[in-house]
Amino acid sequence: MKVALDNLTKKWGTVVGADSITLNINDGEFIAFLGPSGCGKTTTLLMVAGIYKPTAGYIRFDDYMVNHMAPKDRNIGMVFQSYALYPHMDVFKNISYPLKLKKIPAKELKERTRKIADMMGIGHLLDRKPAQLSGGQQQRVALGRALVKEPGLLLFDEPLSNLDARLRLSMRSEIKRLQLELGITSIYVTHDQVEAMTMADRVAVIQSGRLQAFAPPDELYDRPQTLFIAGFVGNPPMNFITVDILHENGLFSARAPGLTMPLSAGHTDKVAEKGRVIMGIRPEDITIANEGAAGEVYIVEPLGRDDLIDVKIGDLHVHVLADPEMSLKMGDTVNLQFNANKVQFFDPETERSLLW
Amino acid sequence: MSFTKSPEDNNPVKIPGQTVNFIIAIVGGLLGIVAFFLPWIGFSSGGGLLGSLSGLKIGAGPVVALSKGAVIFRGTPTSYLVPIAGMVTLLVVFLAYRRKIIVEKDGFWLIALGALPLLVLLGQFGEAQRDAAKVGVDIHYLSGLIATFLALLLIILSGTLTTAALARQKPSFRNTLGAYGFMSPTSLLVIIFFLIPVVLLFILSLTNLSSANFGDPWTFIGLGNYRRMFSDKFFPKILRNTVFYVVMTLAFFNVGLALALALLTSHINRRSSFFFRLIWLLPRITPSVVYIVMWKRFTQVPPYGIINQFLGWAGIQHQPYWLNETPWLFVILVNGFVGASFGMIIFTSAIEAIPKDFIIAAKVDGASSWQIIKDITLPLLRWPLLFVTTYQTLSLLVSFEYILLLTEGGPGLFTTEVWSLTAYKRALFTYFGSNQWAYGAAWGFVLVVIGAILSFIYLRVFRFDDLVQEPKIDVL
Repeated sequence: MKVALDNLTKKWGTVVGADSITLNINDGEFIAFLGPSGCGKTTTLLMVAGIYKPTAGYIRFDDYMVNHMAPKDRNIGMVFQSYALYPHMDVFKNISYPLKLKKIPAKELKERTRKIADMMGIGHLLDRKPAQLSGGQQQRVALGRALVKEPGLLLFDEPLSNLDARLRLSMRSEIKRLQLELGITSIYVTHDQVEAMTMADRVAVIQSGRLQAFAPPDELYDRPQTLFIAGFVGNPPMNFITVDILHENGLFSARAPGLTMPLSAGHTDKVAEKGRVIMGIRPEDITIANEGAAGEVYIVEPLGRDDLIDVKIGDLHVHVLADPEMSLKMGDTVNLQFNANKVQFFDPETERSLLW
Repeated sequence: MSFTKSPEDNNPVKIPGQTVNFIIAIVGGLLGIVAFFLPWIGFSSGGGLLGSLSGLKIGAGPVVALSKGAVIFRGTPTSYLVPIAGMVTLLVVFLAYRRKIIVEKDGFWLIALGALPLLVLLGQFGEAQRDAAKVGVDIHYLSGLIATFLALLLIILSGTLTTAALARQKPSFRNTLGAYGFMSPTSLLVIIFFLIPVVLLFILSLTNLSSANFGDPWTFIGLGNYRRMFSDKFFPKILRNTVFYVVMTLAFFNVGLALALALLTSHINRRSSFFFRLIWLLPRITPSVVYIVMWKRFTQVPPYGIINQFLGWAGIQHQPYWLNETPWLFVILVNGFVGASFGMIIFTSAIEAIPKDFIIAAKVDGASSWQIIKDITLPLLRWPLLFVTTYQTLSLLVSFEYILLLTEGGPGLFTTEVWSLTAYKRALFTYFGSNQWAYGAAWGFVLVVIGAILSFIYLRVFRFDDLVQEPKIDVL
């Protein structure tokens, strides 16, 4: 099922939940709504589900306008952060409830429920009550309930947030695999950028009710269109440094107190005349070398594979990923080399990228 | 009774608190036996408790020691159940003391064992006294009765405690002192203001106390009051009335309308629902007399009654005093309008407490509003439904003030008279002559028993235990 949101807006009085969100989702695509808490991603999802009525704009399923269609007629499945399993029904009844509502004959209902339960690996738990299940098992039941009626669209509302870190990883790949196999169009709401990046075909970044970008994960990562996206996507987050673009002896360079970096040829004409801009650079694009901007190690955070080093240059803090074997300690003096090809530049006024 | 043997037969399992239970059981068992033989050894009367009661001039009169009380019990086989129960309890608890051979569910049988002879015993007092009168003996066996009561209580207590200790194994009596401590204030209130009055009520109901013989010592007449009650010509009518009144008010208003109001008001916007609920609270906060006067005016004949006013405008000529025309309708309406608000408030808060996600999930699953109510909301309201039904059944059973004010049980003879109203009238109404306190007490006591049985059934039907969450705090 194709889904199209057209200037979708939701307001409660003066409070804006979603502000003219426009995006098209292809059939079978896995989409993530990514944004911080309260940004309007769940609001948008609930409008797609039909729980909220849009204040303005349109929702189309396969070119059919569904604004006024009741949730029960939309043929969607939904998975919640709280699982929302009906506590008074056992697992079988929970999963088969959508089929019961569709008045599917008892025999077929049984078969389909069993099939889904086996697929989710909970076939042996059918007579349990939700309260007797672990979090992971409950989430599988919730998935099964969403899938059993073979919906045209799957909605996930932060489904993994209540699981422990390990289980979250395995469920993440399981959901992705399931989605690929079944080919059901899916919208996945999350505030966890790792989840969005790893699972989705395309990520819609939402901030304060507005759609910031709608692009594949690597594009978001490599070519962030706004300062917000640059800062939100990626872990550890990007460094932002306010720099002045200088033109000396025919060479362009970006300069902040304590550091100077020559601009790469590709960036020169886009930022040349801007004067003061915000430069963004990811911790992995800075290397500790023998020469370069001199700074002092402020904090060392071991991450296992890397150490995250907070380097202080004057008043500036720059995060750098370094090899643990360098065994840097607090107070060490280091020199930083910036990879000029990987830096981003943003207009400080509009916060939009100067490059893309 | 199912006994299961533990594998380590010769290895006594230490049951926490068993010493205390053992002592209770022995005392209880012995008391049970002693209580049985009391009449033979000349203690059928006398004793401090009775003395203090007579001090209250309830009618005990002079206390006479009597050895011929033996007459009372001799030859009635059922009375042997008391000492037998005592001895069996002794045996059981003793075996439990030696090794763990009784299991949790035996507790029920132990209690039944204790309770059965009590019932049998009660049936005999009237006859015993008549027998005694035949041989010209004036007997007071209240002390025997109290001793028997005490013994049975102890038997039951020991059985319960032992099985509870066995079931839990861990918390000993000493360790649960804290829990008992916390429970004691409430328990004390229940004992002082419920259990003791019920016992007094029961004792009173076995006498012939009334305003006619207030000055004389009271006389026990056994189950005479009960016999009189059940053979009353109007007893079936009153019973029917009570059932009709409780069931109708409960079904249509206290639960039915309350649920409908709660469902409706939780589906409209907050401000209007608040206003709506406030309106439905008005009958409850209106003083009863004012409220009833209002209703009476409502139903009056022209030119006073509002209903008839409307009928007049509608061109209907039949304009009677509606309260006399359809008394039951108004008895139920009057009580139902007051009762509905209670359930409404409980149900509303319960509905609002249902997580939004359940409702969204059900909508997405394809449920219509009605299906959501039927499949999700109502099942999740099981506990408040149980609570309101139980609570309101009991309060309706004993509520009579609105009926008293509205119809006085009329019009005519016993048309709308319910059980509690009868109890009130018999005991405290001087309309038909004397206050028959004892006879009224019999009506009251049976009502208490009915209420207790009903609550028990409700709790069983709704499986109350399943609804109570296990405490999150570990008992240390």
